[in-house]
Amino acid sequence: MTARALNKIRVLELTTAVAGPVAGCVLADMGAEVIKIESPRGRSLKSPGAPPPIEGAPDHAYNRTAFFNELHRGKKLLSLDLKQEEGKDIFLRLVENADVVMENFSPKIVGQLGIDYTELKKIKNDIICVSMPAFGKSGPYESRASYGPGIDAMSGLSHLTGFPDGHPGKPAQFYCDQNAGLTAALTVMGAIRYRNRTGHGQYIELAMLEGEMQLIAPALMDVIMNERSPNRTGNKHERFAPQGVYRCKGDNEWVAITVRTDLEWQSLAELIGKPEVGKDRRFLDLNGRQTYHDDIDKLLGAWTSTITSQEAETTLQGAGIPAGALLNLNEAFSHPQFQHRNTLVHVEHPEMGTFPHTRTAWKSKNENEGVAGPAPTFGNANNYVLNELLNFSADEQQELKDRKIVSDAPLG
Amino acid sequence: MTEQTNDTKETAILEGIRVADLTTGSFNYAGRLLAGLGADVIKLEPTEGDPLRHWGPFRDDKKNIETGGRHLHLDAGKRSIGIDLDSADGQAVAKSIILNCDVVLESFDPGYLDTVGLSFESLASSRPDLIMVSMSHFGQSGPYKNYHGSEIVDVAIGGYLRLTGEPDREPVKPYDDLVIQHTALHGATATVVGIMHRDNTGEGDWFDVAAIDAALFLIGGPTQSYFFNGKVAQRNGNRLLFTEPQYLYPSTIRPCLNGYVHAHGNNRNQDLLAVLMPNIGLEPLFDTPMGNADKIDDIMDSWLSTRDKFEVVKLAQELRLPFTEVLTPEEILRDPHLEERNFLVNLEHPMEPNLLQPGHAALMSETPWINRRAPLIGENTDEILEGLLGIKEEERTELRNKGVIQ
Repeated sequence: MTARALNKIRVLELTTAVAGPVAGCVLADMGAEVIKIESPRGRSLKSPGAPPPIEGAPDHAYNRTAFFNELHRGKKLLSLDLKQEEGKDIFLRLVENADVVMENFSPKIVGQLGIDYTELKKIKNDIICVSMPAFGKSGPYESRASYGPGIDAMSGLSHLTGFPDGHPGKPAQFYCDQNAGLTAALTVMGAIRYRNRTGHGQYIELAMLEGEMQLIAPALMDVIMNERSPNRTGNKHERFAPQGVYRCKGDNEWVAITVRTDLEWQSLAELIGKPEVGKDRRFLDLNGRQTYHDDIDKLLGAWTSTITSQEAETTLQGAGIPAGALLNLNEAFSHPQFQHRNTLVHVEHPEMGTFPHTRTAWKSKNENEGVAGPAPTFGNANNYVLNELLNFSADEQQELKDRKIVSDAPLG
Repeated sequence: MTEQTNDTKETAILEGIRVADLTTGSFNYAGRLLAGLGADVIKLEPTEGDPLRHWGPFRDDKKNIETGGRHLHLDAGKRSIGIDLDSADGQAVAKSIILNCDVVLESFDPGYLDTVGLSFESLASSRPDLIMVSMSHFGQSGPYKNYHGSEIVDVAIGGYLRLTGEPDREPVKPYDDLVIQHTALHGATATVVGIMHRDNTGEGDWFDVAAIDAALFLIGGPTQSYFFNGKVAQRNGNRLLFTEPQYLYPSTIRPCLNGYVHAHGNNRNQDLLAVLMPNIGLEPLFDTPMGNADKIDDIMDSWLSTRDKFEVVKLAQELRLPFTEVLTPEEILRDPHLEERNFLVNLEHPMEPNLLQPGHAALMSETPWINRRAPLIGENTDEILEGLLGIKEEERTELRNKGVIQ
């Protein structure tokens, strides 16, 4: 294996929900040892939709949920009760041997646990601590609770997603979580490098709302510059027309098309067998095509409805026009370009068998492994941490388990 | 230029890293992030300016290539030099600048840089520890590398577009260049990966970042679900994409008296929703919340229809129900939280002196986040050519007269 960017870096991850776990995945993929610390009582034993175990594996449904496995690939899992004094002591001893601590608890809980940056810095002077609060560690919304879609709502993204005559919308699953997770990975790696050069650790605060609002600048500026109230614009584009999603032959089949220039519009008119439309003075320039966008949509839809989405894509791409069939997830997974890029990396999970994970959006000559490994089974790093890192005796380990400070199975 | 760092921290995280930024459009976000972390980001743009400068919004809708909103945001913190890459002289100057940089970011059509003598191989033969980050719609190789992309086409092929919108209507794209900007975030992250790798080994690297990968990455959990149970996720309006009947509900957007609220159950105590909206028949629906989503919507709507969104969120949050307001851009600009955190900043651009724009993407206790206004076209050409390459005024004038630099 080639050398990895985060070789010999140890990260302690105290996170829930999505953003923190995504950050941990990226750091693990880049070679860090990421130890996720989870409360013995934090996980539901119910796992709707879990697949069966592979032959010979124990039937632990809690180890087989899609959500957990996607979000914790490549990590180790220590099940530790931080609310008990001995649990907290174990955590602090781990901090002495760690480079980074990531958490996304509410500010109140961090205070109660006594594990904020000021405290951890006393244990290890150059520790790097990362908090990923929804709204930040100051301001009137500091203590508000929210998950990803709720932050999408407050950032303006929901208001701006959808059709002008419809409701505000949600892009796919969430946006701000993955965005915050990557931004955290970026900043943490920078902070590690800074520490390597200066000997100084630091505290990084990454408010998910503020990371997400990096996308909303154009709408905010339009309010300030033009006293306009930016609204949803459906599939239309400010600088390209026509652009849209058009129904194709078959059930629930669609193609997305963007016409970027007047010349592309001429080609398109030829392709759909309506050269006279290409010469129609109303449609010659962008302004005209935006004015008559709905008429053009009808013309285009009439053509796409007679062919499959793949035929539409191939025909238009052949003429240099951006077009893409709307792929279902299963179609995307078997798509030749994703296959070529190894975007999905297969790894073997001890209780579920082999499943693919989506790696980050880059591949490279050196950092090409893509995914560090499968998600951990519950408590799979308990012995590693207690034996190898902290040298507890067998008796001491048993006592910790008896007192449910460390647990090899969730306590519900 | 005005440095808007309201603290005394001096050395930035990426201080000493120099980046040649040849990207265009929303891919420019990568360089903006690296500039925010303190890298010296040199924007090598065409002599007539990066096409990004033609993107709005513009004040009073009057186009001005120095004051387009997206340029002011995505180019903040960079320096600019205008170079004609179609000329041999321009290519030579660009190559000299790049070889004085640690990192080069680019988003040309795959293969273009070969045609102007700036391929990774040719650059790396002169500077083996160079880090190049190439961002594109489909990637640098493979059967679709020459496909023509756009935000909506990338999200179509990336499986993302089918997952957005109402089930009874055509899929709808996410706002603006969401996925391309996210691709640029991956590009910025890859850059630091490359720097860390170089620190450890002395080796350079070439990163191939693709928007279709970023689209798939954003989908997250439903990807795994498919491989677990063969169920292909479908767009589900504002509801989550996991549709097992016992799954948590609500997580959705519903209308109220003066707009919309994001309504969300407490996943440890579903009954709390019935505390917020008491005695209107919610409790019996909680055994299979997602299975009863339509009924829960109807009941919530009747309760919400007479209520103010800010009041609803206040009441809900007091109960630890994670409700939030669906805010409009106007409301965001008046938002007391962002104001108290000094998030929106005026970078005092000479031609757009009264504009607010997003500031920090992260706050750090030891190192600053750099907010500095976007450069005018070629604003830093002289200082870069003189300071970096030692090209004297006479030669610069000649290059200018030939139209090689701006």
